[in-house]
Amino acid sequence: MKVSFTSNERGNALLCAVCTIFIVSVIAANVLLNCTTRYNQASNQVRSWNEALYAAESGADIAYNEVRKIASNPSSAFSAGNGWTTSGTTYTSGTTTFGTNSLRTSEMVDLFYTDPTTGNAWYRIRSKGTSPLQGLKRTGMDDRLSNGNRFVANASTRGDGDTLLRKIDFKYDHFTATYGPTGDGTNKAIVAVSPAPQLSRRIELIAAPITPFEAAIKVSGSFYGLGSAAYIDSFRSSVGPYDPTVKTNPSDSRYADSQSGTVEIDNGTATIMGDIYGNLYTNGGTATKKTLNVHGTIDNNVPFTLDSFSIPTYLPAPQASPTKINANTTVTPPTAGTARAPTVYLLSSFDKTLTINQNGSSQTYVAIHLTSDFTGAIDVKPGVHVQFFIDGNVDVKARDIINETGYAGNLQFYSISPTDGSPQHININSPGDFVATFYAPSADFTMNGNPDVTGAIIAKSFYGNGNTSWHYDRSLDFLGDVTDYRITSYVEDIR
Amino acid sequence: MKLRHHPHQSGFTLAEMMTAMAIAVVIFAAIITASLALQKSFNAVDNYFATHIQQIRIIDYLNRDVKRALIVTTSADQQTVTLTIPKYVVQSNDQDGQSNSSLIGTMRTPTISPTSSYQVNYDYVGTATPATSTVVYSINGASILRTEDGVVTTVASSTDSLVPKDSDTELTNTEYTTMSVTFLPIFTSGNVADERAGTTVFSLAYLRNKRRG
Repeated sequence: MKVSFTSNERGNALLCAVCTIFIVSVIAANVLLNCTTRYNQASNQVRSWNEALYAAESGADIAYNEVRKIASNPSSAFSAGNGWTTSGTTYTSGTTTFGTNSLRTSEMVDLFYTDPTTGNAWYRIRSKGTSPLQGLKRTGMDDRLSNGNRFVANASTRGDGDTLLRKIDFKYDHFTATYGPTGDGTNKAIVAVSPAPQLSRRIELIAAPITPFEAAIKVSGSFYGLGSAAYIDSFRSSVGPYDPTVKTNPSDSRYADSQSGTVEIDNGTATIMGDIYGNLYTNGGTATKKTLNVHGTIDNNVPFTLDSFSIPTYLPAPQASPTKINANTTVTPPTAGTARAPTVYLLSSFDKTLTINQNGSSQTYVAIHLTSDFTGAIDVKPGVHVQFFIDGNVDVKARDIINETGYAGNLQFYSISPTDGSPQHININSPGDFVATFYAPSADFTMNGNPDVTGAIIAKSFYGNGNTSWHYDRSLDFLGDVTDYRITSYVEDIR
Repeated sequence: MKLRHHPHQSGFTLAEMMTAMAIAVVIFAAIITASLALQKSFNAVDNYFATHIQQIRIIDYLNRDVKRALIVTTSADQQTVTLTIPKYVVQSNDQDGQSNSSLIGTMRTPTISPTSSYQVNYDYVGTATPATSTVVYSINGASILRTEDGVVTTVASSTDSLVPKDSDTELTNTEYTTMSVTFLPIFTSGNVADERAGTTVFSLAYLRNKRRG
């Protein structure tokens, strides 16, 4: 028998190579598959979830911008031209789409509270933001946690894993299906989402009115003051009368209210002396606690603007008399009125003393519009609230400002900004003390002597070189007409 | 019978066999080594991603809660964060939800209290008592727990040495919180501190509801 030998069998090496490549490829594919899943979750879902909040907050900004117009230009707020529909005091926007990822937002704003004292309105802003979910349509849960440590609160919670936090609508809107379109449990429905999948987040913000007197002294221009032995502190008149010992006694329950003698300067250059029991804000300054006796926070990066001031449009028609105070005059308003409907006196001159009595035993609201300079004196009797609007300048002694109520908020001076931009000033000379507030964004404020002041001053500039003791009343926080709005509350509906 | 000898039929020599086996051993050793290395690499990457996801989850949870919180406090060792959060939605275990089941799932209307510096609250319906939840983030072994009114959720649980002491949460002036979370990757070359630092995820969240003092 002849055994033939074949010497050209060479298949083994190729087979081994193919098998090796196959095994390695399977492992590599597994790596890629898992990495893709992780990437899908860690990148796309996290990004969309965060972008949904950005969209909701952008929508809230849109609505907030409209709310601010109520203070600055009411006729242009929530206009139909900007896509808003109005129903009573509720305003609803259309849907805004923006960004490279086609984020969407829609908002609803409603007036939910009116301050009984000032008549200022508070607004609630509800905003929904939606972000399309990029990438694969899968949950991307971390299955490794299933080994006894599953990421789940309890059996009644929705979903598992990351869906507890990031609630993805893969096909249907889970919120509308579970809680209804407004979230109050009514009108639940299965509604398909488009595009799918997507993520939505909902937030609710409260826009509160900003009133003029939120700092002891606030100026948009230059500042000089006070004397080296002066101080500015605060108290809250609704809690009790001013007590000079509180500001240095941290154990006193009123101590927190004594540390709000804040000075705000929209300027990088200022001369600041004395003790400030509150915060100091500048715009570009270099103030430090090493050189100043500031007991609160120093922040040198707080820019702000003070808009020019004009007389409110809601004031009723004025009384027939008096029309000028060129002799000492006493008035008793015919009605008590309200903050939004006070008794109005229109005066052309004011160089003597005006005494304002209370109407019976009712809190009495009075508005005075003086179309010239104020060089006389005013005496506000207990129970009377006066808003004094002045077209011209103020040149008086501190003793000419007589506020028998003891509350600064009961005597509010407003300097109406000259429409032609001409200079305006307020000069308060010694002797005397006063309890009042001044809102004069276009006026240069000068105070001479060492008066004891209870109140607040907002002006274009400030100069005062006396050793003044200055007490800001924290109850002024929300007194006066609204000048702007700020967001004071933020909640998220995490369902 | 004469056995015919085939002059060309021959086997491998011992030297050839030894050479072939040696080469085969080297090749298979390389393949096995590469496979194991690839598998270890996969495990490392898989663990890295999984733990990184948990880092992000922790950060996202804290960010969401800090933003809507009224008060945030951090323990001295920066290992426990306690938040007071308004209860926006009436829940079944709330006092108003228990007294009136039709309220469950409805959103509370904010209230303003002019006598106390105009604070916005979400009160229990029909009362002047603010409805709030207490949420505590804490560390339990290798897990990070979120406890809301006694209900515990394991936010992150890791076998990858998600070391608690490096899960820093720092509070400054009740205005914002900064937080960082690190973990130790599987592959280390000896410099553990640097490798842990390299996994740091950092975040900062402002309190949107900072209360006036």
